[in-house]
Amino acid sequence: MSADVRTVVAAAADGCEDPHIFNDFGCGFEAPTTSLFFPTPWLDFGLPATSGITKYTALLVVSVLIVIGFWFFTTRRAKVVPGRGQSVAEMLVVFIRDQMVRPGMGKRGDAYLPLMVTLFLFILTMNVMGIIPGAQLPVTSNLAFPAVLALSIYLLWNIIGIREHGFAGHFKGKLVPGGAPAWILPVLVPIEFISNFVFRPVTHAVRLFATMFAGHMLLAVFAAAGFYLFNPDAGGILGVISVGYSGMALVGFLVFTAFELFIMGLQAYVFVLLASFYIGEAIEGAH
Amino acid sequence: MNDRPGADGKPESRADGMTVVSYLLGGLAVWGGAGWLADWALGFETPVFLPIGLILGLVGAIYLIVTQYVRS
Repeated sequence: MSADVRTVVAAAADGCEDPHIFNDFGCGFEAPTTSLFFPTPWLDFGLPATSGITKYTALLVVSVLIVIGFWFFTTRRAKVVPGRGQSVAEMLVVFIRDQMVRPGMGKRGDAYLPLMVTLFLFILTMNVMGIIPGAQLPVTSNLAFPAVLALSIYLLWNIIGIREHGFAGHFKGKLVPGGAPAWILPVLVPIEFISNFVFRPVTHAVRLFATMFAGHMLLAVFAAAGFYLFNPDAGGILGVISVGYSGMALVGFLVFTAFELFIMGLQAYVFVLLASFYIGEAIEGAH
Repeated sequence: MNDRPGADGKPESRADGMTVVSYLLGGLAVWGGAGWLADWALGFETPVFLPIGLILGLVGAIYLIVTQYVRS
């Protein structure tokens, strides 16, 4: 549970002398912690192992609506000679096809292009929520969202592999390395199993989650430093130093916001590129 | 990330760094874990099978990387 406007206002009304945002009660200063990623739910149904309706849920719905709206408004009157919106949509599709899908799957990947286009725009929108003023929480900074996306790619990878090569063929291709003598296989097969069936989906999800988590934390620390270090009344040289540090933190905040935008695009790209490599490998069979 | 071979539409061989790292970590985790379990099950005070398992896992992982990516 992290504080937000509601808890801070409540704490101030409760007679708190020093309301602050970065702790659980909205009272007393604390540096930003990981409680940033556990927003206080707006509606809590009290179900076990659920978080209720939080800021994440709201931003997820907004992201879905943005993606649907983007495709609806750019392609609803598609013409042979595209207009401005349609050109943007077509450039995006061609970019994803040439940069992410074909390197991983070749020409056969065009069948999976709709999935990859949707995935890319969805992840990008969820990431960019982190720097939209007012939202400022990347949806993917909660492990649940990248985990579900990576899990669906993992299931698809298994389903396609089994469909293309049969049940035995798929697992043999993934577990038994080609060109190894039989006596060494008992050593190698567990390594292949843990590497292909456990570590790979986990890293696929954690890579996206961890970069978004760390980036959001970094921005929160810079923003908090810019705000709390600004203290011109400290007297003489101390006031000058504090304002200087505050300015440096705010410049850092701006620089890292721009950098985060780059990372958000890059991570969406990497997620979709890896998804296409995995599915391409399932189509191809034994490596 | 840029200028990947295979951008012309042909799938490349998957010699990406992540797979290599996950082989190494997987080898250490599986066989080191098996060694640790064996030590724990047999009640050894000083680990005996743990270092054996770690070395076996590392050797297996390196062998796997060599056969999959270096010699192919």
